[in-house]
Amino acid sequence: MSVLREMIENLFSRPVTILYPVKKVPIPDTFRGRVANTGERCIGCSKCSLVCPAQVITMIDGPRDVEFKGKILARKKRPQVDLYKCIRCGLCERHCPTESIHLEHRHAGTGTDRDVRVT
Amino acid sequence: MTDPVLILLYIFVFPGFFFLFAYALFLSYLDRKIAARMQQRVGPPFWQPFADFIKMLGKEVINPDGVDVKVFDAIPLVALAAVMTAFIYVPVIGLSPVAFSGDLVVVLYLMTLPTLALFLLGWLSRNIFSAIGGIRAVTQLFIYEVPFFLALLTPAVMAGSWSISEIVVWQQHNLWLVFLQPIGFVVALIGLQAKLERTPFDIPEAETEIVAGPWTELTGRRLALMHLTSEVSLVTGSALIAALFLGGPLLPWTLSPVWLNVAAGFGLFLAKTLAVLLILSSITVATGRLRIDQLNDIGWKYIASVALVQVGIVLVINYLWVTP
Amino acid sequence: MPEVVVPIGPQHPALKEPVNFRVIADGEKIVRLELDLSYNHRGIEKAAEQRNFIRILPLLERVCGICSHSHSTVFAKGIEEIMGIEIPPRARYIRTIIAELERMHSHLLWLGVAAHEIGFNTLFMWTWRDREAVQDTLEEMSGNRVHYNMNEIGGVRCDLTPVQVEAALARLPNLEERIKKYMDMVNSEETLLIRFRGVGRMSKAEALKFGAVGPTARASGVDYDARRDDPYLAYAEVPWNVVTDNQGDVYGRTRVRVGELWESIQIIRFCLENLPAGPVRTDAPKNAPKGEIFSRYEAPRGELAHYIRTNGTDKAERVDIRSPTLANWTSVAMCLINQNLADLPVIVAAIDPCVSCTCRMVVVNQKGSTNKTNSPDTGVAVRDLGSRLSRRRP
Repeated sequence: MSVLREMIENLFSRPVTILYPVKKVPIPDTFRGRVANTGERCIGCSKCSLVCPAQVITMIDGPRDVEFKGKILARKKRPQVDLYKCIRCGLCERHCPTESIHLEHRHAGTGTDRDVRVT
Repeated sequence: MTDPVLILLYIFVFPGFFFLFAYALFLSYLDRKIAARMQQRVGPPFWQPFADFIKMLGKEVINPDGVDVKVFDAIPLVALAAVMTAFIYVPVIGLSPVAFSGDLVVVLYLMTLPTLALFLLGWLSRNIFSAIGGIRAVTQLFIYEVPFFLALLTPAVMAGSWSISEIVVWQQHNLWLVFLQPIGFVVALIGLQAKLERTPFDIPEAETEIVAGPWTELTGRRLALMHLTSEVSLVTGSALIAALFLGGPLLPWTLSPVWLNVAAGFGLFLAKTLAVLLILSSITVATGRLRIDQLNDIGWKYIASVALVQVGIVLVINYLWVTP
Repeated sequence: MPEVVVPIGPQHPALKEPVNFRVIADGEKIVRLELDLSYNHRGIEKAAEQRNFIRILPLLERVCGICSHSHSTVFAKGIEEIMGIEIPPRARYIRTIIAELERMHSHLLWLGVAAHEIGFNTLFMWTWRDREAVQDTLEEMSGNRVHYNMNEIGGVRCDLTPVQVEAALARLPNLEERIKKYMDMVNSEETLLIRFRGVGRMSKAEALKFGAVGPTARASGVDYDARRDDPYLAYAEVPWNVVTDNQGDVYGRTRVRVGELWESIQIIRFCLENLPAGPVRTDAPKNAPKGEIFSRYEAPRGELAHYIRTNGTDKAERVDIRSPTLANWTSVAMCLINQNLADLPVIVAAIDPCVSCTCRMVVVNQKGSTNKTNSPDTGVAVRDLGSRLSRRRP
């Protein structure tokens, strides 16, 4: 009879469904969303490319000057990520020495262009 | 009410074809909404059953290999026509204008036709799932039909007539039959749940066991009509039980302007069928599916014997008090 | 009706994943079962040989969605044992918390699916509503609702902040109350009792003979739980009990799983309240010394075992995964004989099948038979296993 009582209680209370898209589901801060790279801190060390399990990060040319541990270095490469192949595991964020490549709060979203690259 | 134009209006517009169609969709919406709210979900919007019907009418009709297309097309139409015809004998606004002595039997017969239609569909589909589903549908029919008919026979015995309208008039002068025959009311509700093939008796259409049973090969307009048939059966069944046990659309006293009387009767009809729907929806939400051999057990051991007991009690009451 | 073949699968509304049961039924009684399991084979064991220890863990996580943390943890602990490193206590406790949260979400999911298989959709909606609290906790802690990627060789990828610990503890009382309600429901709800009792009964001797593991075996009275009998992570330090039952049918398995839900909440609460301070990882060497190890873990479905062989490089030479569902399929094939066709989804759902975990490569050596599949790309000789067993029954 506990089922019956709960059914009748539920009839007079609010449903638990979150009415997306009018209301949004609350997302925690630690959510692993879309991959992004802040260009100023990246030193192009290729660690992200080496640890990526899906091998979606390639290093492309991008010569620039970056400040690292008090010195200005002239770096040559920067990473390019295939956005829709990324599995959002977070290993690149974990192994990046300058906290440059990271997973953002928002989703990768959907799209029809398969070749979206994030640099 | 012998004017042929009025009778045609009664049969086709209100409370016949169009009203029945609209009310069937409305009750289907309410059923799904109540079930959803009991499970703490939101449920479908108001126009959902109508949208489903229109959508299914527009879908492609797939004919499996070697299936007799003409018969396949005809069966859902026959089933729909049967339950719609059954509804015109049930009192909706006052008594039915086409009532005659014995129309209770006709209504019960017409309401059996959709189950036989499902069996035929299952058998003709040349599909193992449909065949098993069709056999289960007929097995279930044999099991619940006996107590269901017995439970609906006792109001006729007590009122001394085989016409639904006269039973309703009898209740207007005496008590509602639900107070005189509570056991019969419960058995009739269980029987109606089994006839409509809703949980816990949705054995022919067990989705997780035999895909969709006899409904597997129905597509497009055939599925739309068959689905409408089950929704109209819900209305006809609820209206029948409301008329036989809950007093139908008649007040114990008549009000002075005729239109007020008719409107009040219609309001009572709506209220009583909604009450029956609430009970049926609660049973659907609170239980899981039975197995066919378990239904066999329960049906014959408990439900049929209880119905027989009710018949016995009614015969005794009749002999002692009711008949002059 | 004469004997007919009812094809349950590969696509069927009862199945969440493709698997082919060819059921030979006589009316409503099942006579024989022919099982073909190779539809979800993806070649993970071969792909695992080409990845180093950093890149292999996300791959192994994706063997299964529901027991993802199990696969990653059992591999990580095996490699850590070969390397001879000991992870800090805080990392052990965090791994335990995630493991028990995963067990809870898996068992709540299972309860809903079992209710759905008997048409009791109300319980399905309610258990999955409560599962959302567990998923929210996991999302806060790890960043994702499945595939948490919390492990790395040497510890855990990220730490638990006090805010996360508080939020998780705050969700536990409501979950406890719901689990008590489900325990009541399982013991008293008529439809569940009538559909689950006496269905798919397996005695203790049969469970041991067919190699059943997990709640399927514990419901038949086999008192084996890898968390107690081969302790790992924090299970030796946390007070908890093994749940067994001796009814052996689907009802017993339900009771074992609901009991395990209760135990999991107690373990999670103890670990969250007594989380030791300290680092969450130690340094691990790049290469693993030469060796082989058989690593065991109690996944939500049963005992999961990885056999790992390393050869001094930074990759594993061979990873062999024996998932619990693979061990339980034989018992299903045997339990189904002479049961009702309507009970087939119930009995299959009672072992909590995860076909993605199952499709590994199995070589069955049949004396005198020419059916021996050896290539790692085709699937499974379990088909031979199934039909050999079916021919054995009279």
